[in-house]
Amino acid sequence: MDNTHQPTGGPNHKPPGNVKVRLAGVTKTFRNASQRIDTLLPVNLDVYEGECTVLFGPSGCGKSTLLNLIAGFEDATSGEITLDGKPVHGPGNDRLMMFQEHALFPWLNVIENVAYGLRWERAYRFRWRARREKAMELIRMVHLEEFAKSAVHELSGGMKQRVALARALAPDPQVLLIDEPFPALDALVRAKLYIELQELLVRTRKTILSVTHDPREAATLGDRVIVFTGRPGSIRADVRVDLPRPRDTNDPEVARYAARISAELESANPDEKQTGTKT
Amino acid sequence: MKNKPEQRLKYYVTGFYLLLLAAWQIGFSLNLTHDYLFPSPAAVAQRLWELAVGGMLWPSIKATLYRMAIGFFISAGAGLLIGLFMGVSRIINGCLKSLFLGLQTLPTAAWVPISLLLFGLSDHGIYFVIVMSSIAAIAIATSDGILHIPPLYLRAARTLGTPTYAMPFTVILPAALPRIVNGIKLGWTLGWHGAVSAELIKSSVGLGFLLYMGRELNDASQVLGIMVLTILFGLLLDRFLFGLIEKRIRIRRGLERSE
Repeated sequence: MDNTHQPTGGPNHKPPGNVKVRLAGVTKTFRNASQRIDTLLPVNLDVYEGECTVLFGPSGCGKSTLLNLIAGFEDATSGEITLDGKPVHGPGNDRLMMFQEHALFPWLNVIENVAYGLRWERAYRFRWRARREKAMELIRMVHLEEFAKSAVHELSGGMKQRVALARALAPDPQVLLIDEPFPALDALVRAKLYIELQELLVRTRKTILSVTHDPREAATLGDRVIVFTGRPGSIRADVRVDLPRPRDTNDPEVARYAARISAELESANPDEKQTGTKT
Repeated sequence: MKNKPEQRLKYYVTGFYLLLLAAWQIGFSLNLTHDYLFPSPAAVAQRLWELAVGGMLWPSIKATLYRMAIGFFISAGAGLLIGLFMGVSRIINGCLKSLFLGLQTLPTAAWVPISLLLFGLSDHGIYFVIVMSSIAAIAIATSDGILHIPPLYLRAARTLGTPTYAMPFTVILPAALPRIVNGIKLGWTLGWHGAVSAELIKSSVGLGFLLYMGRELNDASQVLGIMVLTILFGLLLDRFLFGLIEKRIRIRRGLERSE
């Protein structure tokens, strides 16, 4: 594990907690009839407990593939992924994934969607009332208590994402994987959701692994930002963001981190023009 | 105010049926053929009334509906189960889909001779015809519905910890439900064809039997009357039982707006 990336911390950087997820020499190669496409070069990465780690890079750099590997939707071509030291096999709610689209079930209403994942938890099995109570608690946390009995299609885009977040948190996952949080939302709604998500981060100290191509988003949400370079993907830099929470996307400090993250990417891909935010 | 066009459409539809009835009456009045071969609407209505008063009609309707209830219950249950297996296994789907598509080309009445050979004159043969007429449509609709589920729902269910044994009832069937209900509606219509076809030949009570009897007695009024009645009952159940269920599902999922 020599070449595992260690965070390059600022002056007031906290010592990292335990390793929650470890990627050791993970590669992924897709094959079709005529060619093999290496999506990921060997990736070594330790994700620490209680932190929000953001994978940042251009589209097509394999960061979403990496998330799919950790979630267990696909198998790595080589290398090993462990959660608390145990190799992961197939999808499961210990590594719960939140998708780009909300993926709420249209045949269930809001509270039923949130309670859905609790059904498979031992503590909640056959305990319908307890599931409803827990779901209601989470719905209150995302401020949607008036909409508990609404149908999914009656909600706005931002509300759907908040329900999806509540649903993802219900089974109390060890790691929450977020693939492009809130992509299809307008700036105002996003800003609000960033604050809510950060309040949650602080309150629950949940381990979160997220993917984005927006440097501002990376700097706002991440305790640590892993910069990927494209095709085949590999880790270019590991930046620790030492800013108090909740952070505002428009804060100049956040913008400075965003610029630094973009700069890391541009130095890696000099020929590719990045569209990141700069100050 | 806002449903004015729909209101107007209703008038047109009512007008159309009145026109149809008038055309029938005019056709009768032109005396194209003997009136016992081509009766007037009034004669048909009168014959139906006689049958109803004579206690022939209601037991027949009841018998046909009862046979449909049993045959269709079996067909829907088995069709759903087979469709579910087809939906989750590419191999089973490949084998059964061509078979079922082939069976669907067979007219429902073509099942009657074999059911006579297998079951004789008992009601079991009618259930058999109903099942064979409708099961393919239900199974194919179910498997198509499952194959068209957005993969995102399946992934979401997986990552939320759904065990494999629970997937069919918590995710797969609910997600495929709109198409399944469609298939069940179609299955009902085909089963109804099958039931009446079978009764024509092998029963002593039922709508199909009354049709047969009408022909035996050279009673065109009865034949036409029962035909109209058969259409009405088939339509009624399609519209009001399955139609309303389908509409509720579609409104709940935001596929259709409620009025």
